[in-house]
Amino acid sequence: MLRARTLSGGVHLDDRKISSGKPVEFAGIPPEIVLFMSQHTGAPAKPVVKPGDRVLAGQVVGEAQSFVSAPVHASTSGIVKAVENRYHPILAKPSTAVVIEPDGKGEIWEGIAPGSDDISALSPEDIVKIARNAGLVGLGGAAFPTAVKLSPPKDKPIDVYLLNGAECEPYLTCDARLMVEEADEIVFGFMAMMKAVGAPRGIVCIEDNKPEAIMAMERAISGKPGIELCVLKTRYPQGGEKQLIQVVLGREVPPPPGLPFDVGVVVSNVGTAYALAKAIRTGMPLVDRVVTVTGAVRSPSNFRVLLGTPVSFLIEKAGGYAGEPGKVIMGGPMMGISLPRTDVPVVKGTTGIVVMTRDEVNLDKPLPCIRCGRCVDACPLRLLPVWIAAYSDRGTYEEAEKYRALDCCECGVCAYRCPSRRPLVQSIRLAKQAIMEERRARAQKASG
Amino acid sequence: MTERLVVSPSPHWKTDKTVPALMLDVVIALMPAVIASIVFFGWKALAIILTSVSSAVISEAIYEKAVKRDITIKDYSAVITGILLAMNMPPGVPLWMPAIGSAFAIVIAKQLFGGLGCNFVNPALAGRAFLMAAWPLHMTRDWLAPGFFGGVDAGASPTPLAVLKGESSGVLPGLWDMLLGNRAGCLGETSIIAILIGGIYLIWKEVIDPRIPLGFIGTVFVLTWVFGKPGAFFQGNAVYHVLSGGLFLGAFFMATDYVTSPVTARGRLLMGIGCGAITVLIRLWGGYPEGVSYSILLMNLVTPLIDRVVVPRYYGWKHEARKEKAL
Amino acid sequence: MKRSVFYDFTKGFIEENPTFRLVIGMCPTLAVTTSVVNGFWMGLSVIFVLVFANVFVSLLRKVTPDEIRLPVFVILIATPVVIVELVMKAYLPAMYEILGIFVPLIVVNCIIIARAEAFAFKQPVLNSLADGLGIGAGYTLNLILISGIREFLGTGQITIGSFRFPATPFFEPAAVMLTPPGGFICLGLLMAILNVLLARRERKTKAQAV
Repeated sequence: MLRARTLSGGVHLDDRKISSGKPVEFAGIPPEIVLFMSQHTGAPAKPVVKPGDRVLAGQVVGEAQSFVSAPVHASTSGIVKAVENRYHPILAKPSTAVVIEPDGKGEIWEGIAPGSDDISALSPEDIVKIARNAGLVGLGGAAFPTAVKLSPPKDKPIDVYLLNGAECEPYLTCDARLMVEEADEIVFGFMAMMKAVGAPRGIVCIEDNKPEAIMAMERAISGKPGIELCVLKTRYPQGGEKQLIQVVLGREVPPPPGLPFDVGVVVSNVGTAYALAKAIRTGMPLVDRVVTVTGAVRSPSNFRVLLGTPVSFLIEKAGGYAGEPGKVIMGGPMMGISLPRTDVPVVKGTTGIVVMTRDEVNLDKPLPCIRCGRCVDACPLRLLPVWIAAYSDRGTYEEAEKYRALDCCECGVCAYRCPSRRPLVQSIRLAKQAIMEERRARAQKASG
Repeated sequence: MTERLVVSPSPHWKTDKTVPALMLDVVIALMPAVIASIVFFGWKALAIILTSVSSAVISEAIYEKAVKRDITIKDYSAVITGILLAMNMPPGVPLWMPAIGSAFAIVIAKQLFGGLGCNFVNPALAGRAFLMAAWPLHMTRDWLAPGFFGGVDAGASPTPLAVLKGESSGVLPGLWDMLLGNRAGCLGETSIIAILIGGIYLIWKEVIDPRIPLGFIGTVFVLTWVFGKPGAFFQGNAVYHVLSGGLFLGAFFMATDYVTSPVTARGRLLMGIGCGAITVLIRLWGGYPEGVSYSILLMNLVTPLIDRVVVPRYYGWKHEARKEKAL
Repeated sequence: MKRSVFYDFTKGFIEENPTFRLVIGMCPTLAVTTSVVNGFWMGLSVIFVLVFANVFVSLLRKVTPDEIRLPVFVILIATPVVIVELVMKAYLPAMYEILGIFVPLIVVNCIIIARAEAFAFKQPVLNSLADGLGIGAGYTLNLILISGIREFLGTGQITIGSFRFPATPFFEPAAVMLTPPGGFICLGLLMAILNVLLARRERKTKAQAV
């Protein structure tokens, strides 16, 4: 076991993992399933079913359109009600979705064939193909297509594969529960991942506020060659890809467009490893995931949720609101997205639903910046949020770019620590958008 | 849908350490020094502090009312300015001086530049510098010998720094008296122990960065040890230099002012060292016996430059920097 | 369009107040305004020079080639300055001691060269005369105002010859007001007040126009 270490910078948060003792249960089949064609980073999938079609669980309803993309599968059996625009919780705008009315039978598509239990029988290419066909994406939140991650460029050898079980966001327990309950499956999937990229060494990284998960994983990896466990002192945002690589390996990923490949590392979430294991063993594509429903609900729980299940259905399953709801967040309280409505569905990247009561919602007016530097001290990327935000607020985005606004990972530590409660992340995000637009405009001018 | 949901950008959690909370911590940390000043200089000290604080708060309220800004007296920053200014005054000054000094500090040095967060020098020190220029005799002569709860001598008493510099004849107080505060000096600067208690509280609560006070005091110690004695090296009376004057007060409470100190950790260390160097320059070779407040004011002015120059190495830029060098 | 001579006179007090609005002629403004008497004599000298220069620049504007107008201005300004200097030396030696270098320096005072270049060189004689008088008077008032404030706060009383008001200071004078920082603080505050008042007036006229 590697020595416990922790991030320099960042913050220590009250983790509030109130649902950590709750075993994962199946949430059930909702009355409506909404499958967005865009549930991943990259090009949206193209719908291949039409209203009136009967689909079965695991059947492809959207086909991947390019290399960086992922197919979408029906999560249960039923009739396609519509292919239409629905409000997308992450993109925060209407987006194409296949709407299915489930028949409640959960019949599995005949195209699903049980796979192998033996990784040694599979070539790296086979594993990548399985990941691609299963529509696997990173389940830690970013939803980057796994098949792309598993195919590093040939000139960039991978020597370490990190399995991310840090789960540094407060409240969320889906990864922790998965590690406790499915440690062996996770390790199976992890070994397949390591084989796919040819990494001789694998490290399972877990924060020390999850002792049960640490014990389970320690047991599961014993006797597996090349796999170690690294226990990290709890600190946010340690579960971020760049931060994890820095903390565990002491390597720093080059600034965007640099990727972990560039320093010989690939990082995947434990949920992804589990989904890959399932895809290899049973042939079942990614149709469900574990979602933590927590915060101000009567019974905070961890659910196995069919993709496309509405958030309102999950909140009902968790006993309904406790108190007057103020905010419903998809994801954790630090990086999650607050939802304007709860009829939106769970997507592949949804790690949790956190409900905050009206009293917990902070609506304070921001005070003027006093340049205390608390954001600078905490920034895990050692950026200067104070200046980026100040230039962004003034609209001088070129200056913000000089202070590397584009490097920002939007972890929210700066805004969390700001004593003046300034919306730093929002300001930085604005600068990033403006800079990207400017670049696009320049590129267009150059080409046209 | 029946629920009305708030939509806002992430993060959805914010710290409880808001500006007023941090400022209140500073006020709390100043209490030991306030109490020590009352113990050593009696009711006169209390009167100066109360006058200074109420003048600061009232002038902030009046100004903000006049220009129709939000009234910000509840964030305690004016209270701190008032206390700090009082701490920087000789105990024998007439009461109208803290009143005018605080009003100047708040209206001219802070509000006219845009209020909280926009002042470019520490308001309390600007107020002190103004009083020093306006009524220099009061600010340099109105020392009182300390007594216990108002047993204050009427006669002027030389400060240890003036003695060290050879400007006044007198005997240096014992080390123990220096630590406790049983010596002549400004209200709040005399009791090192009281200031240390406050300073350690602030560091423990992570309100201030220890780099500034440590860099400041450390630099003064080293430089006065090396150059303190004319004609000889390494024989200066560094301990007395460190303990006398407003060094501790300045290092823990005034150089650490957020608005006027750098935002990066390295920048703050630089600020502390710069303050220390200028203080020693003024003390040993300058025209005044004390240089703490001017050194902080000067470094306040340099802070924007430090912030421009001292930029951390951003994450992942190790390789890029090397590439650039190779080109 | 014929400009109103009256307007050219009055604009020097508020709209084109040299110190507070045009921010020119700052060196003497800060340097000599430690007492009302100094300010008054300095102002008077400037009025004389300004009127003299304006009138002659305006008279000669048609015959002065553009290329050499600046040397011509300098001669036209230096002449009255020398007159002022000699007169002052002869009849007010004490005042000359105090104002010292700032009297000959009127030659390069931007108020005068600016008025010559921007106004007198393009306007008829009568308007230039009014402009010189107005701007000069405005400037003198500024100097008296600033020096009055500085002298009063800095020494506790205003001394004109043997007349002192109040006879004994009723507060402890603040020495800082007599030093350059005091001059800057005083100037800045007056400028701020004038700007606030003008902004308020502008808002009002705008509101009425709407």
